[in-house]
Amino acid sequence: MECVLLRPVPEPPRTTHTIEFPYTRTLGPVIGPFLTGLRDQRILGARTPNGGVLVPPLEWDPATGEAIEPDLVEVGPGGTVETWAWVTQPSRKHPLDHPFAFALIRLDGASTGLLHAVDAGSMDQMRTGMRVTARWKDERIGHMTDVVFVPEAAA
Amino acid sequence: MSAADTAPAEDGPVTMMDYFMQLEYHELLCPVVRRYASQLLEGRLVGHKCPSCGLVYVPPRGYCPICVVETTDADEIVLADKGTVTNYTVVTPVQYYGQEETEPFVRASILLDGEGGMMNLQDIVDVPVDDVHVGMRVEAVWKPPGERNVDEISNRSWGSAEGCIDGWRPTGDPDVPAEQLRDKAF
Ligand SMILES: [Zn+2]
Repeated sequence: MECVLLRPVPEPPRTTHTIEFPYTRTLGPVIGPFLTGLRDQRILGARTPNGGVLVPPLEWDPATGEAIEPDLVEVGPGGTVETWAWVTQPSRKHPLDHPFAFALIRLDGASTGLLHAVDAGSMDQMRTGMRVTARWKDERIGHMTDVVFVPEAAA
Repeated sequence: MSAADTAPAEDGPVTMMDYFMQLEYHELLCPVVRRYASQLLEGRLVGHKCPSCGLVYVPPRGYCPICVVETTDADEIVLADKGTVTNYTVVTPVQYYGQEETEPFVRASILLDGEGGMMNLQDIVDVPVDDVHVGMRVEAVWKPPGERNVDEISNRSWGSAEGCIDGWRPTGDPDVPAEQLRDKAF
């Protein structure tokens, strides 16, 4: 019988191109205070003329086009998960480097859901209607990633 | 720019935010470019000579876009690593993010001797920027064999020999009259 040596098949050569757009953006009169709030461990929402509270805040009520009330109000830090999706393999740009949930979180005092990450440990810890609360980073710069959410039971 | 550069004062209002967009592409090198890259590592510039019109493409593309015919290894020729500057631009670097150059530099088109072939966006070295001119005779400055790489060679590297050739330096030979170089600029 003839002996056949199998050689490893070499990977086809490939190249990597990286294109970067390093923008800096001004934040404006609503998102600026919202991110300032995150840096200071406060989550702020915008009140609409008909009594709603938008979190994250917008400059205009998307339902009516009317301007929001001038002063933002504090919401949370607790809230309720309205819907969620489990991320089994986080990408390099995700807010956490281990499996987590993206969830719509209705913070206490808000009338809209905030899309954010829930660091729940495993998928079986997640359910719609569960209570979560904010967990703040030690070093905050005024960015959405200054905070992630965790199950209230684990906080 | 890093997050630290635009980090807000500890207690002041946050008014700006880094918006760092990054697109990363991975592409497989096509066989024609792989062949070109392996020859570069050996210190040879190769191109494809169109069997129909005779134009020389470097790096080879595997086709002639003018005649719309395929070119193959059978059309490969070894090119000269000497040539003539047919066109150039002096780039004065603005210090935007990622710019590594600080002094004005030249990017030139070079018509290779003999069979021809155009190398584009080439660095001209060992000569003051103000002395670069059309018709100037130059030769390739190869990196030593052990220091060559083809990391920057991609399927769209038109005229690139980056990683293997450091640039082109004047030979001191008499200039080629500019009139002979018409239609030879990239
Ligand atoms: Zn042709």
